[in-house]
Amino acid sequence: MLALESEERVLHQTTSLCRVCKNAVPANVVANAAGEVWMQKACDDHGPQAVRLSTSAEWYQRTRAIQQRRVAPPAVRHEVDHGCPFDCGPCANHTQKIRLPVVTITSACNLDCPICYVHNKNDDAFHMGVESFGQVLEHLARDQGGELDIVNLTGGEPTVHPHFLDFLAMARQAGVHRVTICTNGIRLAKDERLVQRVAELGGRVALSFDSFERDADEMLQGARLLDIKLRCLELLQKYGVDTTLIPVMTRGVNDHEIGKILAFAFEQPNVRHIEVHTMTFTGQSGATFPRSGRISMLEVLERIEQTTEGLLRVDDFVASPCAHPLCYQIAYLLVDPEGGAPIPFTRFMPAAELYAALSDRLYLEPTAKLEQSMRESIDRLWAYGGAEAERTLGLLKRLLGLMFPCDRALPSGEALRIAEQAVKAVYVHSHMDEETFDTERAADCCDSNCYADGSSIPVCNYNVLYREKEQHFNLTPRRWNGRKGGQRSFPSLPIVTG
Amino acid sequence: MTGGSRGLGLAICRAFAEAGAKVAFTFSKNVEDAAAAQRLVAGAGSDPLVFHGSVSDAQHVQATVAQLSEAWGGIDVLVNNAGPTQILPVALLEEADWDAVMNTNVKGAYLFSRAVLKSMIRARRGHILNVGSFASERIVEAPIHYAAAKSALRGMTEALAREVGRYDIKVNLIAPGLLDVGLAKILPRHRVDEYLAQCPMGRLGTVEEVARSVVFLVSDENSFMTGAKLVFDGGL
Repeated sequence: MLALESEERVLHQTTSLCRVCKNAVPANVVANAAGEVWMQKACDDHGPQAVRLSTSAEWYQRTRAIQQRRVAPPAVRHEVDHGCPFDCGPCANHTQKIRLPVVTITSACNLDCPICYVHNKNDDAFHMGVESFGQVLEHLARDQGGELDIVNLTGGEPTVHPHFLDFLAMARQAGVHRVTICTNGIRLAKDERLVQRVAELGGRVALSFDSFERDADEMLQGARLLDIKLRCLELLQKYGVDTTLIPVMTRGVNDHEIGKILAFAFEQPNVRHIEVHTMTFTGQSGATFPRSGRISMLEVLERIEQTTEGLLRVDDFVASPCAHPLCYQIAYLLVDPEGGAPIPFTRFMPAAELYAALSDRLYLEPTAKLEQSMRESIDRLWAYGGAEAERTLGLLKRLLGLMFPCDRALPSGEALRIAEQAVKAVYVHSHMDEETFDTERAADCCDSNCYADGSSIPVCNYNVLYREKEQHFNLTPRRWNGRKGGQRSFPSLPIVTG
Repeated sequence: MTGGSRGLGLAICRAFAEAGAKVAFTFSKNVEDAAAAQRLVAGAGSDPLVFHGSVSDAQHVQATVAQLSEAWGGIDVLVNNAGPTQILPVALLEEADWDAVMNTNVKGAYLFSRAVLKSMIRARRGHILNVGSFASERIVEAPIHYAAAKSALRGMTEALAREVGRYDIKVNLIAPGLLDVGLAKILPRHRVDEYLAQCPMGRLGTVEEVARSVVFLVSDENSFMTGAKLVFDGGL
């Protein structure tokens, strides 16, 4: 057992990784005298290690205590052997089915970002075959009961894959509602026809967008890319491609810009989501990025509140019920087409109802729960009034009128698209690295890298441990360490089957 | 046929054309839909007369009936079908929304019925068919102005049937449930599933099924049925 300082108290115990050898080690998560949360652990070979997880023990405990809705993976594909996180596939201890399937279609990339948290190779690059991608889709469709909300294509840089448009078409033909392409935007910015094809195929783009400032741009992406990003966005807007902006927040580099990035995103009609990632220190470049850049989930939320001047507050966010509560924080906002400030859902809907509406999917869909919540919210606004009640009711009425016009029936897909255009979503996603790794969070992960044989690996486990072992992504793949110390069993948790 | 450019109205127009009737329909907004409907009805056997306007506009109604009477020498059948589907909870339902739905569904039916009745009374025959909804017949989730308007149509049907029965003019009402066009196409899937779970027939009705019955109701085959309502909801 690790020794505690006198004013420290243990919040919980878990299994983490040694930041050097990546064997599993027991860890204490403690609150210190300053009210901060630290993970403390020690490796027999590499000594004691500590990392700050949060600036607020109160927030950390309150958030961690949120009961997520666990739905077990439909198939176990790896026996518990070495213990978590060394048995992914998933193993029998994994508590959450895949909500965000990620398919890594290439190892090639046309950038070399200092914040890159995966391993890539351009020499003898790996490009997933069409047949393999088809198998991934088949497994996903079977496991998800035929209904696929989303598939995320990533790399490397997926747009350099010679068949990425074919993959996009295949996924759409398989009935995937949202096919997102995670990209740096360079190819799209330079090839208008490519953007047009993405639009024609109904693809969505998740564009990395870290900064408006040249120095920060260079520090994070290794190049001055702002003009390229803006050109890419211009084309995406021209062709109406639904877009997500992905800024990686890094303390002291771009965290002061988050409000500006959000304001910019709110103004772009085709930008639906902003997915803010916290800097993660793993992979080919992230592992050596200065640790002064580490920023916690709560700090990002607080920066958002500060830099948006309260347009979005910390309490406008809810955890995702589909993931560990420390992994995702989500806010939805109603857009005002007249140019008024967007209105966070939690200003007219209790946070618990937004949380419940998100319980079946990672992204908000027009489910019965959401419909019920919206109806009750409308009634409350009308009956009780309030500062923004009239404007909010007007926006909701306008939205209903657009989704259900009097003079014609829109196909449900088109109505859904209109609904999506009327809202913006801000997701803050905190990945783990070898220093912050926590098997409790890993076991609850709903984002997984998916393979043609039907197996899958939660993305943090994949980024930290598995990808560096794959020939596809490394000229000299690492070999497994002793895989010592893995967590073989977890406390009994309420899990829904199916 | 009022509101004949799409959905159930169009299906009934086509069924009328196939049955050998001369067909005319009105539409209020979408010219492209109306043009497409005109081609479909013509293909079914009757090149229809098409009128653009609002059924709640008395001048439009008078002009339409006058032109039809001049062209055909009278009107044997009126179907009051025009009516918007506006999905609004009571909290968002403003006076203008109420007026718009009541005007189209109820005032429109009143104006058109009154306009055609003169020639029907002179001819001492005729059929008026009002298109209501299961929303007025069952306790279901429906916008209150829509349900109120459809209930008003039922009342109007019964009272008018009583009043003009002596001229052998039959006035009836159909009350469709969810059909394979219109509302069912725009409702969230869970709402349709909920409906089907309660429906003994376990499926949506088709516009053709409703149209077939309408052809009977307004034909000479229907010699005694008036003031009636036919509910097409699969036994909900």
